[in-house]
Amino acid sequence: MGVVLDGLVLGLQLALLSVGVVFVYGLGGVLNLAHGQVAVAGGLVAALLLQAKVNPVLSGLGGVLAAGLVALLLDRTLLQPAYRRRGEERLLLALILTLGTSFALDGFFTFRYPNVALSLRLPAPSVEVAGITVRTASLAVGALSLVTFGLLLVFLKGTRLGKAIRCIIQNEAGAWLCGVDVDRARTVTLFLSGVLAGVAALGQGFFSYLGPDMGPEFTILALIVAVVGGVRSLTGTFLASLLLGMVNAALSYWVGTYLTWIALLAVAVATLLVRPEGLLAYWP
Amino acid sequence: MSVPWTRQVAPVVAVAAVLAAVPLVVGDSPYQMRIATLMLVLACYAVAFNLLFGHTNQLFLCVGALASLGGYLSVILVRDLKLASPAALGLATVAAAATGGFLSYVSVRRGFGVLFVGIVTLAVSLIVHNLLLGLRDLTNGETGIVTRGLGMGLGDHPLRAYYVLLAVVVASLAAYRWLFGSRHGAALHALSEDEVSAELSGIDVTRYKVACATGASALVGLVGALYADLNGFISPSVYAVGHVDIPVLVALLLGGMRTLLGPVVGAALFSVVDELVRPFGQLTVLAYGVLLVALFLLFRQGVVPVVQSALGRRVSALRAPSSRTAAKEEVAGGTEAGR
Repeated sequence: MGVVLDGLVLGLQLALLSVGVVFVYGLGGVLNLAHGQVAVAGGLVAALLLQAKVNPVLSGLGGVLAAGLVALLLDRTLLQPAYRRRGEERLLLALILTLGTSFALDGFFTFRYPNVALSLRLPAPSVEVAGITVRTASLAVGALSLVTFGLLLVFLKGTRLGKAIRCIIQNEAGAWLCGVDVDRARTVTLFLSGVLAGVAALGQGFFSYLGPDMGPEFTILALIVAVVGGVRSLTGTFLASLLLGMVNAALSYWVGTYLTWIALLAVAVATLLVRPEGLLAYWP
Repeated sequence: MSVPWTRQVAPVVAVAAVLAAVPLVVGDSPYQMRIATLMLVLACYAVAFNLLFGHTNQLFLCVGALASLGGYLSVILVRDLKLASPAALGLATVAAAATGGFLSYVSVRRGFGVLFVGIVTLAVSLIVHNLLLGLRDLTNGETGIVTRGLGMGLGDHPLRAYYVLLAVVVASLAAYRWLFGSRHGAALHALSEDEVSAELSGIDVTRYKVACATGASALVGLVGALYADLNGFISPSVYAVGHVDIPVLVALLLGGMRTLLGPVVGAALFSVVDELVRPFGQLTVLAYGVLLVALFLLFRQGVVPVVQSALGRRVSALRAPSSRTAAKEEVAGGTEAGR
C-alpha cells in the first residue's frame, strides 16, 4: 500500500517535471535538455534562501520564481536564434544549445555550490491515515503538485492567454494569423515550465534532498515521461507520469535502482520504436 | 576524380608526418605523451562522428556507449574466455559495428529525424551505462577493471600506444579520403543536402546511412578497445556521455564538420583547451557547455574551413567532399557554401 502511494506521489512529481518539457516542445518546437538544470537552479536558490534564515514558505516561493526566471532568461537569450528557424533546423539548433546550456549550468552548480543541498523537513515524519502510516512528505508533495496543476488548469482553460497557448500548440501559423502573439505566448510558456520545474525541485527537497548534480537525472526523467506520454494532450503526459511513477516505485522497491533506470529507459525506447508518432511527433 | 591522385593523398600524408613527429618533441614527458595519445583517441571518435552527424545527419549520442562496448568486451573476452587479444579486439569491433548499424537501420526504417535519433541513442547510452554499473560480476561496477595484462600491453609502452593510435587515425583519414573521392562521396554529399531528393535520384539512402553508421561504429568500437588497453583501467565513467560524446561534439564543431582535417584539428584544439581548464576541476564541464553553445551559435563552420578560405584556393584540395570534386558534379550548384 505504501508503495502504491509512493508511486502516485512520485508520478505527480514526474508530471510536474515533464509537463514543462511537453509544453515547451509542443508550443515552441524546442526540446529543452536543460530543463532539469532549471529545476536544480530553483532548488538551490530555495536552499540558499533557507540558509540565510528566510522564512521557509518565502524561500520556497523564491526558489520557484527563480526557476521560472532562469527559464525565461533562456527563452529571451539563447533560444532566440532557434526560434528564427523552422522545423528540423530549429529542433537541432535548440537541442545542441540546450545541451550545451545544461552542461554549463551543471558545471557551474557543482563548482560553485558543491555542498548546497535543499532538504525540507516537516515537523512530523509520518502520520496515520485510515490505518496506514503515511510519510508527511508524500502528503505535502501530493498536495503541492495537485494545487499547482489546479492553478495550471485554471490558467489554461480560463484565461485568454491560456487559450492562446492551446491554440498555438494546435497550429502555430493559424494562431498567428488570428492575431495571437506567438512570441509572447512562448515566453510565458517557458516561464511556466520553469515554475513547474521549480515546484518539482521543492518536492524532491521534501522527499529526500536535492543536490547541485541532479540536473541530468531530472532532464532524463522528464524526457522519458514525455516520450512515453505519446499523446497530444496534457492528460496523456499526466497518465504516463502516474504510470511510470508507480512502475518506478514498485521496481526500486523490489529490484533496485539500476534495473529501474534500465526498465524506464527501455520503456521509452520501446515506445519510440512502436509508436514514434507519440507525443513528440506533434511537430511535423 | 578530377583532382590528381597525389593531391588527394597529400593532406593525409601531411597529417601523418606532423603527428608522427609529435613524440620527438614531447616523448620525454609521460604526461604529455598521454595527452597526445588521448588526443588521437578523440580524433578517431571525431572522424567517426563526422561521418555520422556531419555527413549522414545521424546524431548518435552513443559514441561513448559504443566505445565502452568495444572496451569492455575486449577486456572481458580476454579475461573470462582467455581469447587472444587481437581476436578479442576484432570481436569487440564487430560487436560495436553491429550495434551501431542496427541502431541506424531501425532509426532509418522508422523514419526518425535528428531529434529522435538523438533521444534514442541517448537512452541507449544511459542503458549501457547503467548495465555496466549493474552487472557487477562482469564489469566490477563503479570500481572498474584494471586492464593491465589483458590486452596488447599498450599501457606499458606509451610510444607504441601512440603510434598504434596514429596508424588508426591515418587509416581512417585515408578511408575517408577514398570514400569521398569515389562516386559514393557524391552520393553522400547529395544525401546530406536533402535526403528525399537523393532518394528520388536513385541513391539508396537507407543503405548509405546504415553503411556509414556501421563503419563509424566499428572505428569507435576499435578505438574504445584500444583505449581500454592503453589506459590501463576502465570504468563506466571514463566512457560516460559527458566524457566522450560532448568532447567529440565540441571537437568536431571546433575543427569543422564535413571536412577531412576538421576532426583532427578539432581534437588537437580541444585537448589544448581541456588542458588549460583542467586545474579548475568541475569548471571543465562548464567550459564544455559554454564552448558547445558558443561554437554552435557563432562558429558553426569550424576552424578548418575558415583557415582554408583565408589561405585561399591553393589549399582547397585539403577539403574532403570538397569544392573541386563536388562543384563540378553538382548541376545546380550552391551546395558548396554548405551549411
